[in-house]
Amino acid sequence: MLAYLLLLVPTPPLAGFVLLALDPYRLDRRAVRAAALVAGCAPLVVMAPMALAHLTKFWGDQIAPIFTLHVGNYEVALAVGLDTLSAVTALTVTFVSACVLIYALDYMSGARNADLRRFFALMNLFQAGMLSMVLAADSITFFLGWELMGLCSFFLISYNMTSPRAFAAGQKAFVITRIADAALLAGLLLLFLEAGSVRLAELIPAGAALDTARGPLIAALLLVGAMGKSAQFPFHTWLPTAMAGPTPVSALLHSATMVAAGAVLLARFAPVLAANDSVAAATAVAGVVTALFGAASAVAQTDVKRLLAYSSISQIGYMLVAVGVGVPAVAMAHFVVHALFKSLLFMASGVLAHAGAGGTSIAALRGTARRAPISFAAFAAGAASLAGLPLVTAGWWSKEAILASAFEAGWLGLGVWAVGLTAAALTAVYAFRPVFTALRAPETETPRGRESWLAVGPLVVLAVLALAGGLGVKPLTELLGGHPPHPALWVELAGAAAALLGIAGSAAVTFLPALAGRVARARRLRAGLQMDARYYALLVRPYRRFVRRLSGGRGEWVTRVVAPGRGTEGVERELEGAVRHARQPEGATSDPVGQATVVLGLWVWRALLLPFSPDRMDMAWMQGARGIGRAAERARRLQTGRVRDYALALALGLAALLLIGWGMTWR
Amino acid sequence: MTGVSVLLAIAAGLFAAGLFGVLARRTILMQLISLEIMLAGPALAFVAAGAHHGMVEGTAMFLIVLALAAAEVALGLAIYLQLRRDAGDGDADAARRLRG
Amino acid sequence: MSWAIAIWAGALALAAAALAVTRDSVVHALLLLLGALVALAAAFFALAAPFAGAIQLLIYAGAVVAVFVFVVMTVEAGAAARARERALFAGAWQLPAAVAALALVPMLLRLGGAGAGAPAPAGAAALGRLMFGDWAVVTELLSLLLIAGMIGVRVLRRRQKGGRP
Repeated sequence: MLAYLLLLVPTPPLAGFVLLALDPYRLDRRAVRAAALVAGCAPLVVMAPMALAHLTKFWGDQIAPIFTLHVGNYEVALAVGLDTLSAVTALTVTFVSACVLIYALDYMSGARNADLRRFFALMNLFQAGMLSMVLAADSITFFLGWELMGLCSFFLISYNMTSPRAFAAGQKAFVITRIADAALLAGLLLLFLEAGSVRLAELIPAGAALDTARGPLIAALLLVGAMGKSAQFPFHTWLPTAMAGPTPVSALLHSATMVAAGAVLLARFAPVLAANDSVAAATAVAGVVTALFGAASAVAQTDVKRLLAYSSISQIGYMLVAVGVGVPAVAMAHFVVHALFKSLLFMASGVLAHAGAGGTSIAALRGTARRAPISFAAFAAGAASLAGLPLVTAGWWSKEAILASAFEAGWLGLGVWAVGLTAAALTAVYAFRPVFTALRAPETETPRGRESWLAVGPLVVLAVLALAGGLGVKPLTELLGGHPPHPALWVELAGAAAALLGIAGSAAVTFLPALAGRVARARRLRAGLQMDARYYALLVRPYRRFVRRLSGGRGEWVTRVVAPGRGTEGVERELEGAVRHARQPEGATSDPVGQATVVLGLWVWRALLLPFSPDRMDMAWMQGARGIGRAAERARRLQTGRVRDYALALALGLAALLLIGWGMTWR
Repeated sequence: MTGVSVLLAIAAGLFAAGLFGVLARRTILMQLISLEIMLAGPALAFVAAGAHHGMVEGTAMFLIVLALAAAEVALGLAIYLQLRRDAGDGDADAARRLRG
Repeated sequence: MSWAIAIWAGALALAAAALAVTRDSVVHALLLLLGALVALAAAFFALAAPFAGAIQLLIYAGAVVAVFVFVVMTVEAGAAARARERALFAGAWQLPAAVAALALVPMLLRLGGAGAGAPAPAGAAALGRLMFGDWAVVTELLSLLLIAGMIGVRVLRRRQKGGRP
């Protein structure tokens, strides 16, 4: 029965969302913040004892069935469950999100467009979605949480509704992740057909045991789903633009938790991947390519948030590498460490950006080391962890474990290791660029800014963990059922050398004007290899051209369909309005899908409804409708209000009953 | 026709007479008197049937009917007085605020 | 006693009742009701149910009619009132008569059957044992009903005193 306590983990944020979204009491800002804080931190309070009890082997695997339905051979069984993976991930998610929410309480109060109620409602909804995904013991709850996260991601990126850029970014994120989610859904459904149950405990072994062509197909679909959510190459384009959202959103959704959910998915379904060597290899290759690509792009960034976004892409690439080479436990260890230092980096960069000249560009960070020393120290700790400063940071331990595992994984792994090492060096380069920039003397001297303890508190906690968490990597890996790799000494030394070399390179890039200029000119790399433009040229433009051809150049074809007159002016007018709405003012077809529906609707109207519109059938219908009104008017008169009339009805009923009684006993 | 049958027929007649009175009269007082007559019918039927079968339950049912009638008369007369105060006269049809 | 006396008394009661429901004057109707009730009491005595008869006389013919009399005393009497009453009654009596007949006919149709002999006596002692023994719960419910009626009357009268709510 204690397993049902798990339901209490996603419930408080959901309740917080309901309270804040419905807002029955017109809460004031203080109440909104209090509600968000309670709802955001309650999961940690509930989850921490359970996760610790499980991780110390005090409490076994739990499963709490919610709803079970048997349909023929298939079984739909919703449940939440606790195993090592979900304990680790849920603990991480609850902890990081509590930190981010506390930070956001302070950060968002100063924001320009501060609709706190909407912000915290969505943050709480996101927490609920993420936690139900992490704790899910069946694919339906899993997918539900997965999609809920995507929805919240869209809303939170577009949080600033006055900015068209933010809105476009949200749309982009939504559409791109949706493409990948379709693949994930297909994979989960195929898996369901094979297993006959939605329980993960049955799905995963069934998927791993498949030896038909469907096995690799399912594994590949799952991989595509994970890559979309985790913004892996070539789906990465949405993440850098998603930085249009507020900094706490970037810290929670677009780095630490939601984006890394792809890695959680793959770790969860690791047996399915492991059963299909080709897909596992593809995972490792995709991961390492993304890691290198993300790191290289991050080096060229001029905006600290975009830099961190590319860094997230790159770091999650490492997690994919770990899953691909068959050590999902190591991937999850990196997930935990990454969540800690990446949310730290985002939040600290938010404080630094406020303290600096304004804006989130790296150049604007100059001098902030002196203005906000605590935040800067926290940022530096996070950057060190990200760069993998040997021995003293958590990032080094987990990344080193991944690289060493890759090194031990055969000839393909060797290549992956080599590329990963290069990416690690690049990681150190970009990680320390903001740090060194912040250390530089500012152009204009400004006094030390105020650092609210509400914002700095979480930073300090996370900074300590980002450094000291390295001690936990090895036990965590073992807990998750993995074996920490034992590479040769030179492999480890190579990793350490890469990081140190990268830091040196970073200093060179920051302080040597020649190199800095080259970085500033690397526009193509900065735009993420211009994948956006490529997508536009390859997919969007041809589609638009195709639609335009269909619609006859400027869309007159649509309006020609409409036959004016014939006593249906109202409908026609309305439909014409719809056509006008679907057409851009300058005549360019901007919404082909919407236009197509309008055309279809018009066609249906003309072909099927118009011939019938003012005829006898209609009149009969209307007659019937009026008849009901008249009948009601007449029936109303039965209610005279006179006792005698009611008594008459009673007496008639009595007489009828007596007659029936007599008739039934008549012989 | 045995004796009890005739008495039951008389009881039915009493009931019908009372029913007619309730339906036909508009004065509340007359309706109440008619109700008494309506209740007297079953009372006679109970007692006659009890006598026929030699069972005391007939008389007991009569007592129940009696109590019912007493309560009904008390409430009916109170309502009558109330209506007369509100509507002026004792016309049952005047009290028709429940009209649809 | 015998069935014959009971039938005669019952017939008398029926006649009085039939007259009562058709009178113009409330006072006449009330007197005819009293007559019908007394005739019924006689029928009860004839049916070897002296307790029922006594109760009928005491409570029905006594108390209930007395209450009626008190109320009737507040009603204006006279030619004008009787004319109005006649006008009210004359309006529509055919339909109620038809309905009453419709209810009466099936009741009469079921009559007839075997059985003879003198009415069996129903003693007060046996009645008491029944009412306070097996039927004790029914008796309690009756008392509850009477109390409810009493409270109802009280409430109705109080509203009158305090004016319209």
